[in-house]
Amino acid sequence: MIKFESVYLRKNDKEIFSGLNFFVQKNEKVLIQGKSGIGKTTLFKILLGFESIDKGKVSFNGKNITKEYIAEIRHQIFYLSQDIDLKNERVKSLLDEIWEQNPLKNQHKTHFSDLLNFLDLNDIILNQSVKELSGGERQRIGLFIGFLLDRPVWLLDEPTSAIDDTMKKKITNYIIGLEKTIVIISHDDVWKKNNTIKIKRW
Amino acid sequence: MMTSGKKITRLKLKGGDQLGAQDLTILSLASLLIFLIPVFYINRRLRLTINKTMTFAIIRMCIQLSFVGIYLEFLFKFNSPVLNIIYLLIMISIACQSILRSSNLKILKFFIPVFFSLLFPFAIILLFFNAVVVRIDNLFEAKYMIPIGGMLLGNCLRSIIIGLNNFYSGIKKDEKTYLYSLSLFCSHIQALKPYFKESIIASITPTIASMATIGLVSLPGMMTGQILGGSVPIVAIKYQIAIMLSIFYAEYFSTILSVLFSLKVGFNELDVLNQNIFVSKK
Repeated sequence: MIKFESVYLRKNDKEIFSGLNFFVQKNEKVLIQGKSGIGKTTLFKILLGFESIDKGKVSFNGKNITKEYIAEIRHQIFYLSQDIDLKNERVKSLLDEIWEQNPLKNQHKTHFSDLLNFLDLNDIILNQSVKELSGGERQRIGLFIGFLLDRPVWLLDEPTSAIDDTMKKKITNYIIGLEKTIVIISHDDVWKKNNTIKIKRW
Repeated sequence: MMTSGKKITRLKLKGGDQLGAQDLTILSLASLLIFLIPVFYINRRLRLTINKTMTFAIIRMCIQLSFVGIYLEFLFKFNSPVLNIIYLLIMISIACQSILRSSNLKILKFFIPVFFSLLFPFAIILLFFNAVVVRIDNLFEAKYMIPIGGMLLGNCLRSIIIGLNNFYSGIKKDEKTYLYSLSLFCSHIQALKPYFKESIIASITPTIASMATIGLVSLPGMMTGQILGGSVPIVAIKYQIAIMLSIFYAEYFSTILSVLFSLKVGFNELDVLNQNIFVSKK
């Protein structure tokens, strides 16, 4: 599904990747651990076409990250960035705009409210603006968007850093149980406790 | 002074005893400089170190405007459509340069998109103004084309600078959010929308504000000029309204086009902002 073959990248005179090989199979769950500043997030950005590599080969589902395929590739990836950089708008209008661009498979009202309940979010939050949300709320809204978009590949960058412990357990178990290809960058030990996850230490 | 016979009779019928503004002798013009003496004096006493800059600015103004006077005289004398068009094209090129110089964007990369985003609305509105509004026979008549064109250009200049600056610096400052929108929406246009909206609003707001307050405090320069030139106030006001509307349209469309035309230069093929479009500040 995801292939990095001898990838080289230098940024600001600093070597980020020198001959990196990294593969993820379909429906595999991979946890990446390692010190900050070694290019974990860069890995995600390359897949999304936000950064380009100097040398090597990157492919997604057999397709190179090029102009031709980029829209198709982005449509298959749900990315949760570390700071959940949602643009500052009322949560509800932001969600509406997202659905408008990505028709949802499951449009049932109950599905919608079940998910809100599951993430311990309530309707009031929909009328707040993104800036007013706390870090934990933003993370949960981000995951809420991910659950509804239901894209086949998930790239999660520190998805549980601001969520409390009970919630963390519930969410990680649920995510790992999904039939999706999932790559997670996290310092949280809660992910490691699960046997299905493959750990990559950098 | 050269005027057509028709105009003289019309003005005489209306009882105008003076045709156009009184010419100023160089000496009488220079007499205005007398007020610089107290200005210099006060500046010195207050230790405001702007005497040099001020003198320089005044000298520059005089020299530049004298040159304008010389070549306008030349243009008006020949009144040749080709010459007038060439003059305006040169003006557009100069406008492009100053737009890009004051917007931190690289001149070489953006020159062509900005040139055409100025040219299209400018040409359409100017020709419409001459043909439909003023109804002159020679659409390229120097007397209308040059001053009206100059006013349109000067104002578009300001609005494109605000528009482009706002757009590109907005995305640069907000790049993470922009990229995140791209990942959620998977559509370049959709991700650009908020920055596009903001830049249009920022660039046309000053003109909207000035339309709302015009005439309350100050008389617009063009009107003043026309009245001094011998027009009756009501004619001057009609022209002022026509020119304000034309300026507004030209600004509006040229700002939108400048953003649209520059997208190909501003972003790479994966829709990511090109970092090499900005002039590096030293």
